[in-house]
Amino acid sequence: MELILNFKNADKTSLPLVGGKNASLGEMIKAGIRVPPGFAVTTDSYQTFITDTGIGDAIFTLLADLDVDDVEALNNASVSIQKLMNNAAMPQHVLEAIQESYGELCLSCGTDTLPVAVRSSATAEDLPTASFAGQQDTYLWIEGADKVVESVKRCWASLYTPRAISYRVKNNFPHEKVLISIGVQKMVNSKAAGVMFTLNPTNGDPSKVVIEGSWGLGETVVSGSVTPDKFVVDKVIMEVSDKTISFKHIECVYNAEKGGVIDADVDPDRQKKCCLEDREVIELVQMAKHIEKHYGRPMDIEWAIDQDVPFPENVFIVQARPETVWSQKKKESVIGKKSGYQLLMEQAMKRIKIS
Amino acid sequence: MADEKTGRFPDPHEYQVPEELEGWEEMYPSHFLFSDDRKDWEKSQFWYLDKIHAPEPMPPLDLIFQEAWQISLSQYTTRVFCIPPAQGIAQRMIGCYQYICAIAPPPDEIIGEKAALFEKRVFYVFEHYDELWDKWLTKFQALGNEMASVEVPKELPKFAPEDQVLPAPRGYYASYDLMSSFDKLADLMIKGWQYHFEMLNLTYLAYLMFGDVTRKLFPGISESAIGKMVAGAYVSMFKPEEELCRLAKLANGSSVVSAVLKKETSAQEKIAELETSDEGRNWLQEFEKSKDPWFYVSCGSGWFHHEGSWLTNLDIPFSYIRDYVIRLGNGETIDRDLDTIDKQRDEIVAKYRDLITTDDDRKAFDDAYKTIRTIYRYAEDHLFWVEHWLHTIWFSKIRELGKVLVDNGMLDEPDDIFMFNRYEVPEILTEVATGWALGVDIPVRGSYYKAKAKKRRNILEAAAKWNPTPALGVPPEEIAEPFTIMLWGVTTDRVKEWLEGMGEVKAEDVSEVKGFASSAGVAEGPARVLKLLKDIVDLQPGEVLVCPSTNPSWAPVFTKIKAAVTDIGGLTSHAAIVCREYGVPSVTGAGIATSVIKTGDIIRVDGDTGSVTIVKRAG
Repeated sequence: MELILNFKNADKTSLPLVGGKNASLGEMIKAGIRVPPGFAVTTDSYQTFITDTGIGDAIFTLLADLDVDDVEALNNASVSIQKLMNNAAMPQHVLEAIQESYGELCLSCGTDTLPVAVRSSATAEDLPTASFAGQQDTYLWIEGADKVVESVKRCWASLYTPRAISYRVKNNFPHEKVLISIGVQKMVNSKAAGVMFTLNPTNGDPSKVVIEGSWGLGETVVSGSVTPDKFVVDKVIMEVSDKTISFKHIECVYNAEKGGVIDADVDPDRQKKCCLEDREVIELVQMAKHIEKHYGRPMDIEWAIDQDVPFPENVFIVQARPETVWSQKKKESVIGKKSGYQLLMEQAMKRIKIS
Repeated sequence: MADEKTGRFPDPHEYQVPEELEGWEEMYPSHFLFSDDRKDWEKSQFWYLDKIHAPEPMPPLDLIFQEAWQISLSQYTTRVFCIPPAQGIAQRMIGCYQYICAIAPPPDEIIGEKAALFEKRVFYVFEHYDELWDKWLTKFQALGNEMASVEVPKELPKFAPEDQVLPAPRGYYASYDLMSSFDKLADLMIKGWQYHFEMLNLTYLAYLMFGDVTRKLFPGISESAIGKMVAGAYVSMFKPEEELCRLAKLANGSSVVSAVLKKETSAQEKIAELETSDEGRNWLQEFEKSKDPWFYVSCGSGWFHHEGSWLTNLDIPFSYIRDYVIRLGNGETIDRDLDTIDKQRDEIVAKYRDLITTDDDRKAFDDAYKTIRTIYRYAEDHLFWVEHWLHTIWFSKIRELGKVLVDNGMLDEPDDIFMFNRYEVPEILTEVATGWALGVDIPVRGSYYKAKAKKRRNILEAAAKWNPTPALGVPPEEIAEPFTIMLWGVTTDRVKEWLEGMGEVKAEDVSEVKGFASSAGVAEGPARVLKLLKDIVDLQPGEVLVCPSTNPSWAPVFTKIKAAVTDIGGLTSHAAIVCREYGVPSVTGAGIATSVIKTGDIIRVDGDTGSVTIVKRAG
């Protein structure tokens, strides 16, 4: 039984224990990629929770004959389960393990109350291809051991939102087989953040890294609430072939009064300013190439630039997953079996339309 | 495209030139003018300003190169190597500016006939490129040497010299020598230009093919990436600069020589001072060895007599050498390591190749690459030998003739000969020869020619201040002619830009121009606009060079400038290549840069996005 697994000790073999996202972070640390430190509260912890408290049986009974098309019944079941989970106390050894790991993380970062991101990572036993992306909760800027524990519990509970329940039923994933791990990761106090692809998602060009980024935390880019700045960079000659600076009206930032993150208005003078320095763009591209090489396939990557750390230590990768759209296409030759002379003949016969 | 809604380019038969240019037509042969006999055909074609070969008003005698390439370029496409759907490029003059037109494809049966010939002839060239290049260079050097040995009579003797009469009369005398020297020179120039295109059309075709293949594999690949994969380091065009480095390093080994070369004196003074010591004389001997052919490189494109060459402006190579000697003294390295450049290119190619996902594509890429690499060096090699070496020989010979005409009262200055086209020069020479033959005290019409030369200089000056329309006539729907696409970069976007530029936008209202992002990086600095290539001496360190186009003889300048912007630049524009070599940001093909940017304006050149912003106008 392994309740906690530091990212440093995770890799792709730990996937059943820590879920895809956390396993991927461990893989990248092994590959030498700069990833914010953290740990995973494993699926064992979750199972211990629902077994030791006895709520597991109750939950599965509630779900057993549920008609997910009956909206009222679905909502009622979800509410009942959330209540069950809220009322159940976290087993002491799980609680202590989380508190201890958080304490160590704080210590390693030289602070008492390190802000962390608490993210769910669902996984399905024996179903490695199952995707539950975006179904479970994420909590940003969580400070203090108690808040961390509370957020972990809320993440666990997010496995039973009406949407998640209904998705599993419709896709024939038995509820009992679906587990959840939680990632607790140092919060990057990001100046700018976003996503990048190791190919051009618009045309599949494998020689490009496409970066999208905006001010503040990456949530505005991921959710699409802001049109991000866009950079298309050639992987070989490292030239920025296309650079689009967008109008970025809001940014996701920490708000001390509220004690959490909010979408704040961006100062007018920064709205049309490029969110990345040239050297940061180049550093990101280098990292993207490294990650793609490590995984041996095109990747979809989340990144963040910390405002409290000097370059290049401020450039972090917070997530990486395989790119799915172009990678799933059958690999077909685009030129065909043609000799240089055939190609030359074709070119000679060509007429370029110019209207 | 050019309908009422989007605007249209002026009709070439109705286009008006400024009245200060009145009389421009008589400067050029009549077949270069839009004419009523060809009206319907001319109206239906698309004519655009040839800023690559004629960025400035055309002095009449310099038109010989244009006349020669119109024939030569076209015939290789249409009659020799037979690129199936392509026809030639026609030229016309309007108001001292040259417009060109890629002619629409021929009928289908001709295309079919040409395709068969193309296959047979073109593939042979690729298979035998190296030996064909050796043959080309041998015959071309022979031609240049023949031109250099054409004897222009220094003077017309009072009486035919004794040895031309006794013991047996030579049978032809100074009158013939004078007239025939120009005929020979012109004949050799036309022939040299026939050689010029021998493999060039195929080079461009192969480049377009390779570009197309890489764009299919990597849809967003930039022109600069393609250029980097193809360009080689060991090409004749870079040789003049290598020779400068060699001479600077030699000088660095002698404190006497380097001390002289570091002085801010003229080339003549330096040479005189070097003559006074053994070490100096040894160095001068080495300098002489480099001179022919390498310092025959033009200070400009080679297309205009007034550009001069390193040979005629020794101050230029000496100033470059001075910079290099100083840098060597400071412990800097000056020369480009050509092996490293070649190795870097191979690495770039290997990295792109690694990104290819299927075996068939990798094979096609390899084959396409081999094809372009086989022939590509022709693009840079021929350029030195024709536009630089041969043209420099031509200009110096023509100036000898000019001097004879001055001595005989026909012209005020030797360079006035360039004010007469190649059909008029024989007439002047014939008049002088006739006068000599007729006896003593025979009047010649010197005042007539002097006045004509003066008038033409004024017209050219007025034309230099005028911004002619970028295009005339009706844009075509498609283009098959490889030079048009590659060298002049004529694309849908370019034509649209030209059309948009037709409106009444004032130069001072424009704050940004767009072009190709051809060498990465961003730089800001004061602009130096060089419309006339000879003005390069005005360029100051730290300035941003803005010019119609550049060539590799400017290479040493690129260590001085912050960035470069050109009006015109197709896929292999020299400015782009050299800027990448030196890591200088550049935007090429910016269309109207030299007309909207003024010297002294602070401009920002973004070589990543291809935009040039005027940050602050000069006061």
